[in-house]
Amino acid sequence: MGHCHREFLRFASVLAFAAVSLAPAALLAQTSTAKTDQWIHVRVESKDNKGEVVRVNVPIEMAEKVLPAINKDGLHNGKVRIDSAHMEDVDVRALLDAIRTSKDGEYVTVQSNENDVRVAKSGGYLYIHVTDRSGEKHSDAKASTAKGTPAKEEKVEIKVPMKVVDALFSAGKDELDVLAALRALAATGDIELVTVKDSENTVRVWIDSKNVAD
Amino acid sequence: MLMIAKVALGLGATLALATAYTFHEGVIRVDVDESRQGGSHVHLWFPATTVSAGLRLAPKHYLSHAAEQARPYLPVLREVAKELQKYPNAEFVDVTDSRDHVHIAMVNGKLHVDAVSDSEDVHIVIPAETLGDVAARLEDAAPGI
Repeated sequence: MGHCHREFLRFASVLAFAAVSLAPAALLAQTSTAKTDQWIHVRVESKDNKGEVVRVNVPIEMAEKVLPAINKDGLHNGKVRIDSAHMEDVDVRALLDAIRTSKDGEYVTVQSNENDVRVAKSGGYLYIHVTDRSGEKHSDAKASTAKGTPAKEEKVEIKVPMKVVDALFSAGKDELDVLAALRALAATGDIELVTVKDSENTVRVWIDSKNVAD
Repeated sequence: MLMIAKVALGLGATLALATAYTFHEGVIRVDVDESRQGGSHVHLWFPATTVSAGLRLAPKHYLSHAAEQARPYLPVLREVAKELQKYPNAEFVDVTDSRDHVHIAMVNGKLHVDAVSDSEDVHIVIPAETLGDVAARLEDAAPGI
């Protein structure tokens, strides 16, 4: 056995030892990467005769990569241009800034026969709950002619981490930074973002680490 | 006799290698069935490698023209193809109603697009790797993207 052969064997044994030692670390790294894969799910269920069900599942990482590649209409480099004229002279940025710097609490509570609105901030989340009963009255009127009409109440529940709101408005004036918001969302754990329920449809938007909808 | 055996072995090995190379990217499948009377039925199965090879061999001016047409969508196609490869088994879109069903998913590294309705059934299977190849070839043909 020559000197070269011995050197080669020594080198191979060092390599094998390194591979065996590093394998668990590599496996662990792989597991942790897989664990942080967050998916955004959208589910729309229609209760009409057609019984339409829409399920969309998108990995946030994929959305982060693909979004900057879309440059069409108002969307450029992951930012959406918003027309300030449509904001009806409301300075949303100042409004959100005021909410962000304020303490946790209920900011808006409206209770009327037709609507309940609640806007609150708690534990780093912004909550917007709206119950619209304006359709209920019409259905009540019809109910006198057709019994059994379901109550037309619409409920909207939105829960957004303040970090995501901050990221969304982090771009320049008249722009929404959707890409930054996605990145902030990816850092958030499992969360139910939007729930809309009315007599005809149910809409859910949520984030978790599963690659299929419920 | 020995010579014939050697030639046969050589041919067999070449054939096996050629087959392995041809199918290494997988198979592209296109099935279209129209249920109306006299409707068309298209069933295509071909190795995905033929698409990549075809794009390499296609005359440059044809490819440039195609790339120019697809230019706005190429960056999206490139990114989607790249990202799809990270999710070999996943369901992306599922739309169902009483008449139609649309399903887009990755199954074993292949993008499956299924659209089933009363009037026609469409099933397309394409390896994500091939999508990436197509995007890369078209981008090469349309510099400046």
